Amino acid sequence: MKNPLIRRLPRELAADWHKYLVIIVFMIVMIGVISGMYVGHDSMLAAVYANRDELDLEDGCFELSEEAEPELLEDIASGKMAYVRQYFIDKGTEEADKEVAEAVEEELEKQVTAAIEDAVRQQCAAYGITDEEMIQEQIDTALEEGFDEALDEAKNSAEFKEAEAEAYEEAHKAVTEAVDEEWDEIADRYSLEDEGFTPVPVRIYENFYREEAEDDDNDGKSDANVRIYLSGAGIDRASFLEGRGPGNENEIAIDRLHAENLGVKPGDSISIGGKSFEVSGLLSYVNYLTLHEKNTDLMFDSFGFDVAMVTPEGFDRLSSRIHYNYSYIYEKETSDKTELADMSENFLKVLITQSLVYDNEIKDYLPEYLRQASNFAPGDIESDTAATGILCYILIGVIAFIFAITISNTIDKEASVIGTLRASGYKKSELVVHYMSMPLIVTLAGAVLGNIFGYTFFRDVAVNLYYQSYSMPACGTVWSKTALVKTTLIPLFLMFFVNLIVIVNKLQLSPLRFLRHDLGRKKRSKAVRLPAWSFMRRFRLRILLQNLPNYAILIFGVIFIELMMSFAFGLPDSLNNYSDSAGGMLFADYQYMLMDSKDSDGNIIETSEESAERFSSKNLMYPKDVDVMFEGMGSGGDEGVTVYGIAKDSSYISLGDHGEGEVYLSSAFAKKFGLKEGDRITLKEEYENRSYTFSVKGTVDYDGGIAVFMGNDRFNALFDRDPEEFSGYFSRKEINDIDEQDIAVVITAEDITKVTTQLFHSVGGAIDVFKYALIVLAAALIYLLAKIIIERNEHAISMVKILGFENGEIASLYILPTAMLVVLFAAVSVFIGYALMGWVFKLFIMQMDGYFEFYMKNSSMVLSVVYLLAGYALVSVIDLFRIKKIPLDVALKNVE
Amino acid sequence: MSDTLLEINNLKKSFGTGEAKQDVLRGMSFTVAKGEFCVLLGPSGSGKSTLLNIIGGIDTPDSGYVSIGGDRLEDMSEKQLTLYRRKHLGYVFQMYNLIPNLNVKENIEVGAYLADNPLDVEEVINTLGLQEHKYKYPNQLSGGQQQRVSIGRAVVKNPDILMCDEPTGALDYKTSKEILALIEDCNRKYGNTIIMVTHNEAIRFMADHVIRLRDGVVRHNDLNETKTPASELEW
Repeated sequence: MKNPLIRRLPRELAADWHKYLVIIVFMIVMIGVISGMYVGHDSMLAAVYANRDELDLEDGCFELSEEAEPELLEDIASGKMAYVRQYFIDKGTEEADKEVAEAVEEELEKQVTAAIEDAVRQQCAAYGITDEEMIQEQIDTALEEGFDEALDEAKNSAEFKEAEAEAYEEAHKAVTEAVDEEWDEIADRYSLEDEGFTPVPVRIYENFYREEAEDDDNDGKSDANVRIYLSGAGIDRASFLEGRGPGNENEIAIDRLHAENLGVKPGDSISIGGKSFEVSGLLSYVNYLTLHEKNTDLMFDSFGFDVAMVTPEGFDRLSSRIHYNYSYIYEKETSDKTELADMSENFLKVLITQSLVYDNEIKDYLPEYLRQASNFAPGDIESDTAATGILCYILIGVIAFIFAITISNTIDKEASVIGTLRASGYKKSELVVHYMSMPLIVTLAGAVLGNIFGYTFFRDVAVNLYYQSYSMPACGTVWSKTALVKTTLIPLFLMFFVNLIVIVNKLQLSPLRFLRHDLGRKKRSKAVRLPAWSFMRRFRLRILLQNLPNYAILIFGVIFIELMMSFAFGLPDSLNNYSDSAGGMLFADYQYMLMDSKDSDGNIIETSEESAERFSSKNLMYPKDVDVMFEGMGSGGDEGVTVYGIAKDSSYISLGDHGEGEVYLSSAFAKKFGLKEGDRITLKEEYENRSYTFSVKGTVDYDGGIAVFMGNDRFNALFDRDPEEFSGYFSRKEINDIDEQDIAVVITAEDITKVTTQLFHSVGGAIDVFKYALIVLAAALIYLLAKIIIERNEHAISMVKILGFENGEIASLYILPTAMLVVLFAAVSVFIGYALMGWVFKLFIMQMDGYFEFYMKNSSMVLSVVYLLAGYALVSVIDLFRIKKIPLDVALKNVE
Repeated sequence: MSDTLLEINNLKKSFGTGEAKQDVLRGMSFTVAKGEFCVLLGPSGSGKSTLLNIIGGIDTPDSGYVSIGGDRLEDMSEKQLTLYRRKHLGYVFQMYNLIPNLNVKENIEVGAYLADNPLDVEEVINTLGLQEHKYKYPNQLSGGQQQRVSIGRAVVKNPDILMCDEPTGALDYKTSKEILALIEDCNRKYGNTIIMVTHNEAIRFMADHVIRLRDGVVRHNDLNETKTPASELEW
């Protein structure tokens, strides 16, 4: 026989549909949003990584000043370094030989001429000829007749040959010395004589481009710089999100995001370098997922920069200079970062030496793994999962809480039934299964529906958020293991175990105690004597005291709600706060990072700007040495630390006296890792097996980054640099007298603000989704909590109704105390929620690189309480109706 | 009716400690024979419900023992006790304790589900006169009808012992008599041993065996020579 209790389930669902509807909506929204985010992340990343192979993403690229000869490309492809030293010697010797030969010839001619002249003069003197004119005539005749013979004779003389050989020897020696000197410097600079060099064979592809001004609205003003590549390239290909590639010389395909930002659609005409092109399609280049114009740009610019594709004929229509850009792919495949770094370092040596011997010049070199335009977006998407992760864990906590109180409430309500069933011989296990069925069915239904929404609607929301920020390729929907585990399996397991623990724990009580409704663990305490207040006040207070366990649940619920509100309001506030204070976080109004402290001629880069001050910097890693609390959140690996060498008596950063091995930390570094004066820290090189241990001397008030400061002299000594070496300039004013070629990047407050604005633009959409989802979830939670309090008092409310109390009076007895407590709890919980969120945020930041503080505006705090109270006010109205609907016979009939 | 089914031996039970200690059972002993209709009669506080709960295995004595069919309850684990209740006992409470979202028939099936050889549910419904109410929910029934369902849930298991705790305590005179008649019928028809706790003196006339309790001890232990049918009882 089938257990007849099963038939209760659909009826219970129907009878309490509003409660279960709220729970299911809660589950669907929670699972849907989080699953959608994960599926969106995973789908996008899957598309990005799949495209890397399908669209032949390069392993790096280099640009030469002139088109490379086939032999040069062949030699570069071999992956071997050219013998630059010998090349220079040969070249120098050849030139020297030429010069020596010319000099010797000239000298010999001079000497032969002089000898002939002397001989003629002597003969004339012997004949008594003194007329200079006649003598000169005789000399000219003698030179004309005998010069060549005399020259040949001189050349064949042993004396001449000896002198000539000496001259050559001396010249060759000079060439070798000069080359050696030059070579030593180059070899030193690029470590060309490194014994660890291993050849890096590559396949090379032409990937030429032009850069032109793009006028999207044909108003004659340039809207963007566009980098135009050729169609049919065998590398770094594009996928088309709309339309198609260019089919003739008048067509162009441009970046999809740029087009959308500027309102350009396929079929529109735009002007490129003054020539009109029709947009044939919108594309996403595999190596331009973000529109970084220069790799050193702090942030991409999808408005002011564009990438495009034209046919070779279309390319010829344009007139700007061709950038002879070549892309390469390593013959040996690897994804190991250290190995890639080694290979790119070795390849640079190949490039330098080979281009030198072919008299070509490298204009640019960029290994793919360092390319911002293709790596920024995937990295950012991966870090986005962190915020989703936090939300997920908060909501799982809330779900566990909801089910714990719901099931506990159900058992309390059904005490007599449970007692009777147990007394009749029902086993505990049968009752456990019975009481667990409904919450599990509800969770399962919520999980299934949530995932359906997650894989459809919310996935689209997440994917669209990325399309708004990045030039992403078209993406399908992939199966997300993380989504399944975090949004479905964990809540289901949680649900299962929370219910199991609560039910098993409750069912430990004897059937008799269930029959007597004696479910409390503690013995009843004596009744509290109340002051001589009015009857209604005392009655209200009695109800309040009697409901203390319910109010304990309520305060937990309110704390959860405020935690969710802190997330909803605090995250945008924190981002805004960081953005607002970013400008003030810079050491200097301008921070110039140079390519090197010397220019290409080997001269130290100087400036006449008076406020400029040299500094040095270097990036090291700080091992986090913390357990990864939340798998899948952020890197969890080592923290990047910028080590600064600061000038003595700096006017930008004031460091106190510090001995060898002592450093100052940025306040962000100290706060993030809880470091203080006297602590020791060990920083290590990212790609080398070297580490440095420092003692913390103090902190510098700088929240902008994870940084370490020391004197510049100590810096140079520690990192084996020349005493005069430096990395850049701090300045209060713009520096105009440094060649742009020598500047790697300039950081100003505007750049930092741009970064945070873009960051906000990127994650802002996701935060809004979270915010509204959390407000819906908070409303659902307060509804459930208020419902539970009324349900638990149903019997008593029915009784006071029988006694003749009016609904208004009952509301003042049962709703008013709850309302007062909700206000009180909300006022307290807003701070607890804030503190909890601060703690959760810190855990989250520990998994991420960098630092920014959790911040919530006072107005947001007030607003979070207002939202809660407004939600509760609405629920109170529903409660009033609930009280009206409680029938009188609840107290009379023993209908459980 | 000479086979002893139930033996109660020197049962003691108290609640509270120190000054508040209250001895509810103070050495109670008696036996009940198989198929007997036994009434435990006594005023409020005499310990009759506590005694019933101990017999039902949902409460334990401080000392003494209960033996059913030779098996002592004190030797049974919690699991065995559950099995004992499941296979041998039926319970009827003063406050019915029906499952609100199961209808009459289903509430009776809750009992049938537990038994290896349950009675036919439809037949029990007919016997209890609930045919026309079988698809109603408990809150659509009167108190008497609810108690019938409660009896149905207990007897459908065809239990060895039917435990009735003040089954008419919440019912009016007429309905009480109907309920008593039903229990009487069940006893006759299905041969269940009935142990009924009541404070209603009149009910003793319909029993085979009357045990009077007061202050936690057995004051009288009598067997009725003649029984009065429930329908003829007056109080």
